[in-house]
Amino acid sequence: MSAQKFEAFLAKLYVDDNARSRFLADARREASNAGLTDEECAALEKIDFVGLELASASFARKRASRPPRKPDSNLTRWLRRR
Amino acid sequence: MNDRFGLGWRPELAAGILSNLNRIDVVEVIADDYFDAPKSKRRALKTLAIQVPVALHGVSLGLASSISVEATRLEQTARLVEEIQPEFWSEHLAFVRGGGIEIGHLAAPPRTATTIDGAARNLAAARKIIGVLPLVENIATLIDPQGSTLSEADWTRDILAAANCALLLDLHNLYANSVNFGFDPYDFTDRMPQEKIHAIHLAGGRWIKTKTTDERRLLDDHLHDVPEAVYALLEYIGTKMAHPLTVILERDGRYPPIGILLNQLDRARDALRRGRAKRLSEAA
Repeated sequence: MSAQKFEAFLAKLYVDDNARSRFLADARREASNAGLTDEECAALEKIDFVGLELASASFARKRASRPPRKPDSNLTRWLRRR
Repeated sequence: MNDRFGLGWRPELAAGILSNLNRIDVVEVIADDYFDAPKSKRRALKTLAIQVPVALHGVSLGLASSISVEATRLEQTARLVEEIQPEFWSEHLAFVRGGGIEIGHLAAPPRTATTIDGAARNLAAARKIIGVLPLVENIATLIDPQGSTLSEADWTRDILAAANCALLLDLHNLYANSVNFGFDPYDFTDRMPQEKIHAIHLAGGRWIKTKTTDERRLLDDHLHDVPEAVYALLEYIGTKMAHPLTVILERDGRYPPIGILLNQLDRARDALRRGRAKRLSEAA
């Protein structure tokens, strides 16, 4: 169960700007408030901060670029008719 | 030796792919694009699969996680696999959601015994519902996953063993992680069970910087040409392996003329051929 909590915490950290700001201000408190164990809180205090900044920005770009699905090309329409 | 070389199927590349099937042995289709597609779009995919071997590539199952994959997602994959009868299907060793939050892309989970067990459970569920295991793909990550107790090589190898599945080795993901986190990508490939490497991904990326510290990391963005280091890794793979491989070039945007992508496929053919030749000459 704790592993799931830990993954959920990472997901929130990657996606939620406010949660990430709170974490950067006080990592242990934010992790502890999420119900993580002392060991997990200690691990998170040593998180790869460069990676956290770059990864969360990259995930945000990915989410923002999610299509508007492209209209089908003439070719795809032709394939459908076959 | 029947190595096969192909491209990721994207609408922008469709005409170029279909008019060059003499130089393309296989196409890889993003499975998720077809889960909710109308019948006509799925029929188009079936038509494509008649013309060229198709591999299906999933991006949203979240297999490498302590969280169970939702059965409905597996059932969607099962329906598509049943309908298209691909050469194989593949998914990533990633987690993509947690606590009801969708990350929106592939994230590296903590590399622990727990996520190995989770991946094995999820892969067993996939086999039960879909009928066949996917090839599993190593992902690129910009963040060294916190809470890890294992190296990426050990973790990946242990999942392959626990789930008894094969590997889609993404060489640009491997290269990017190796330069970002300081390990030897050749050592990584040596530590994989060679007979379990069935397919290869090639792609490109770019360096990105933080706003705060100006530190940089290599992003696997699929928007740039395949770098020399990745061809070198492919050649090395050829020196190690005797069995046929399927090699797919992924490109997700900034599409160049199809000729440029076909030239990159030719370079991949040459690299793997050189590696194969070295292996044979060393064995002789």
